Amino acid sequence: MKHARVRYNGTELAVSVEADGQLKSKVDGQLINENDVEWLCPVENPGTIFALGLNYADHARELAFEPPKEPLVFLKGINTLSGHKQPAYRPDNIEFQHYECELVAVIGKTGKNIPREQAMDYIAGYTVCNDFAIRDYLENYYRPNLRVKSRDGLMPIGPWVIDKEDVGDISNLKVTTHVNGELTQEGTTADIIFDVPFLVEYLSSIMTLQPGDMIATGTPEGLKDMQPGDHVVCEIEKVGALTTYIVSEQQFYGDKY
Amino acid sequence: MTDNPIIKGQLVCVALNDAEQFDAMQTTFNEAPYKSAPTQPVLYFKPRNTWSTEGAEIPWATMDDQPAESMVVGASLVVVFGQECCRVNPEEALNYAAGYTLVHDFSLPETSYYRPDIKGKCLDGSAPIGATVVPATAIENLQALTVTTTVNGTVVNTMPLARTVRSVAELISTISHIMTLQPGDGIAVAFPGQRAVVKPGDKVTSEVADQLLLNNSLSQ
Repeated sequence: MKHARVRYNGTELAVSVEADGQLKSKVDGQLINENDVEWLCPVENPGTIFALGLNYADHARELAFEPPKEPLVFLKGINTLSGHKQPAYRPDNIEFQHYECELVAVIGKTGKNIPREQAMDYIAGYTVCNDFAIRDYLENYYRPNLRVKSRDGLMPIGPWVIDKEDVGDISNLKVTTHVNGELTQEGTTADIIFDVPFLVEYLSSIMTLQPGDMIATGTPEGLKDMQPGDHVVCEIEKVGALTTYIVSEQQFYGDKY
Repeated sequence: MTDNPIIKGQLVCVALNDAEQFDAMQTTFNEAPYKSAPTQPVLYFKPRNTWSTEGAEIPWATMDDQPAESMVVGASLVVVFGQECCRVNPEEALNYAAGYTLVHDFSLPETSYYRPDIKGKCLDGSAPIGATVVPATAIENLQALTVTTTVNGTVVNTMPLARTVRSVAELISTISHIMTLQPGDGIAVAFPGQRAVVKPGDKVTSEVADQLLLNNSLSQ
């Protein structure tokens, strides 16, 4: 089943996404048209967001890095989360902002010291995120730093969380990004260096994982600069396609700009 | 993971804000892997599994199923937000602080600032947060406060807010342009550069004289 959260008639609502694309309220079964809602982050109580840097063999090559021997993990703030078909901003006066299409594993059960063999028991399902980065802001301190990776609304996620049973094997899923309809990023999860079971074991050896925690597993090669007016679609085969509209910083913040 | 009454959203910590440490590291900053001094506040999260409380016993870290060789602690004043704080100027920034509390950041020793220190900083229960918030209105001169830390009764660190690279107001302003702060969020603004080494069973107390107190101990 696909689980989403939307704002409908001013209220946040948990829905399932039916085969025909209609949304079905989990409260009263009402069927709702997608055009009548605002999509929200599909994880109801988002917790700790882990993201992986340089976790695709091809992307590490693209950035001229040796593939890491240990996962490069960073944390993202929950202020970064937004939903499907939402605006994301390009900061003023920068040179290079790119998307990063990523498979996200959502934790469904509390665990510590989880062995790799049991890791999948702790995954509720999967979603897609676009882990935007602003390369101008990189500095060599806790890199990638919060200024690059924890900005408001710059991690759209969704459209839904799909149960892991409905996806099955995740070791060879196509990962694609289209900008304004043009294919700009194409890869496969087969190139992932540290896979989901490894990451669950690794992270839970350090700290307790809890329902609502998320692991964004990194992105393949194919980075491209984004400009206001662009729309970007990040898609993971069998999981979903996430659309984001790029706007200016002023458009995004409105009165708060 | 013990429920704390104060921080509910995010806890952002500022590293390298002790001016003594910052000045002493100038040569290091110019070498690999840093290559140049940071131009922006150096930030990290203490995620929700780290949050704990006044009086809590902090679990001694394990590494590869063995007790960690060493742990350190730093204390900081925490700005606690009571209202949304988005893109504010330094001049108005302090108006967004509901009040202040203390945090102990227990971690593995800070050996490098190059990559996010998940292994060192994200240990369960490693960020006990004070039991009380001093209202911002009760503090006359914030930058005149000093956080003092003792281990087993001996003073190991004093961190005057006057000794920082960036003031509290500057930090709130800069961070609020990266991330909108919400009620229940906090910023730990100034840890002493020399973290204090602790041992299993140690008692760690930090205070801002007559205002704030935080007591913790380490497990055996």
